[in-house]
Amino acid sequence: MIEGLLLIGVLVAMFVGYNIGGSTTGPAFGPAVGAGTISKTVAAALMSLFFFLGAWTIGRRVVDTLGRELVTNPGVFTLPASITVLFFIGLALFVGNVFGVPASTSMTAVGAIAGLGLASNSLNWAVMGEIVTWWLVAPVVGFWVSAVIGRYFYAALNKRVALVQSDGPLVTVDRSGTLPKIALGPGTTRREMVGTTVVVAIGCIMAFSSGTSNVANAIAPLVGSGALEMNPGIILACVAVALGAFTIARRTLDTLGSDITSLPLTAAIVVATVSSLLVIGLSAIKIPASFVVIATMSIIGLGWGRATRTMRASRESISDQASDARVTVGSLAADTEGEELPDIGEEDPEDIPAAADLFNPSTTARVILMQNVVPLISTIGAYLVFRFLPVFGFS
Amino acid sequence: MVSRVLVPMDDSEMADAALEFALSAFPSAAVTVLHVAGGPTSYMGEAMSLAVADDVDAAVADRAEPVFERARAIADDADREITTEIELGSPAKTIINHAEGFDLVVIGSHSSNLASRLLLGNVAETVARNAPVPVTIVR
Repeated sequence: MIEGLLLIGVLVAMFVGYNIGGSTTGPAFGPAVGAGTISKTVAAALMSLFFFLGAWTIGRRVVDTLGRELVTNPGVFTLPASITVLFFIGLALFVGNVFGVPASTSMTAVGAIAGLGLASNSLNWAVMGEIVTWWLVAPVVGFWVSAVIGRYFYAALNKRVALVQSDGPLVTVDRSGTLPKIALGPGTTRREMVGTTVVVAIGCIMAFSSGTSNVANAIAPLVGSGALEMNPGIILACVAVALGAFTIARRTLDTLGSDITSLPLTAAIVVATVSSLLVIGLSAIKIPASFVVIATMSIIGLGWGRATRTMRASRESISDQASDARVTVGSLAADTEGEELPDIGEEDPEDIPAAADLFNPSTTARVILMQNVVPLISTIGAYLVFRFLPVFGFS
Repeated sequence: MVSRVLVPMDDSEMADAALEFALSAFPSAAVTVLHVAGGPTSYMGEAMSLAVADDVDAAVADRAEPVFERARAIADDADREITTEIELGSPAKTIINHAEGFDLVVIGSHSSNLASRLLLGNVAETVARNAPVPVTIVR
């Protein structure tokens, strides 16, 4: 009976890991694969390796927080309770992948465990408060850092990063001597080499950061219940992540249609770097971090910072610029020659939104709110399930 | 007499249906297709991609082109000519502001994906409630 339950628990944990591998490989290595720098197989291999490194070194701290510290009495993690928590985490991943509603796995995991803690009266409020505080602070930091980059450094960065792919292999290996010599391939410029290396390196950092924060989501409940030791648990999760990276990730890498995998290259590099470093930092201080929210705030910061830079001018000239913009856009888009364009003078220039208006606070609030829907459902759902289903013995 | 019709279009099939309806129901009206770019998306990636571009206008025009291509194909089938316009911003608000100067707005009932419905609510409904001119919702 217990063996059967444990087997189910391990399978559900692996299902969670499998989905994490599938959904993280795209954002991490999408740019590199899209530019033809590495193959999908190499992307999957790098994903698996760096996820493991992140999980093994730093990820275990977050497993500790989720599995042992968030609830005052780890005894509440019975096997059925752990499986139920994992079920909610799996559900969040499922909703995110199928319906395109992004949901942070870490927030969902914390929510489900908090629901369990509330129902069994064993939630550690101090730990919970600390986690939630960081959930508020980290995205704000991500926003400001990205906004500064967008406003002052983006143009310069963009010039450096231009990824021009030359024909032929990137590097050639000369095996005629005793030691194989690696040289730049025909037509490979120095800049291309640097750009290529940076794009792949940033994918690796993202995979590493995913390992630090996400390994806990797959195995913390089982480790907390004592059914699984830490090290075998981490290896188990990494195997599942690798499975996902080598199988379903091929599909997500193909579509590349998702909002976060189709960013301009330079922007993707900035967002990935800022968000990953924040996530790694939080994991290092044992906080389960939400990549989804941090990345979104970084995206908004970058866009807003850049948009305010281009609009740095007097009110008058902004209006002029905006009316000019209408002429350009209108003339580019005009369908038939000789057709009359709308009278520019009749438009109130104040009505024409500048790019910075795309990131107004109410839009931002709505986006962040939507990202919190699934974690909220998991918190309330877990509480109701654990509180009122007699199976768990907390009612 | 309806002589100027505004058809706001996104990338959904409902938008196609709205344009087809507008063209067939008002054979003598001037039909303008409006695309609103840069609205909120699940990670705000679309708005950001436009905002960081060196030439924002060109980026916006690029973004709208696939929608307008579809619109022109539909218009060609109906042997009609259409005008196309682009705006930047939040869809419902932008469409409502733009509706002034038209006799009628013809709009598809809803967009196809759940994320955008969660984010934007139902744009057609918001437009119908707040537009200064009559609104026809096509489904």
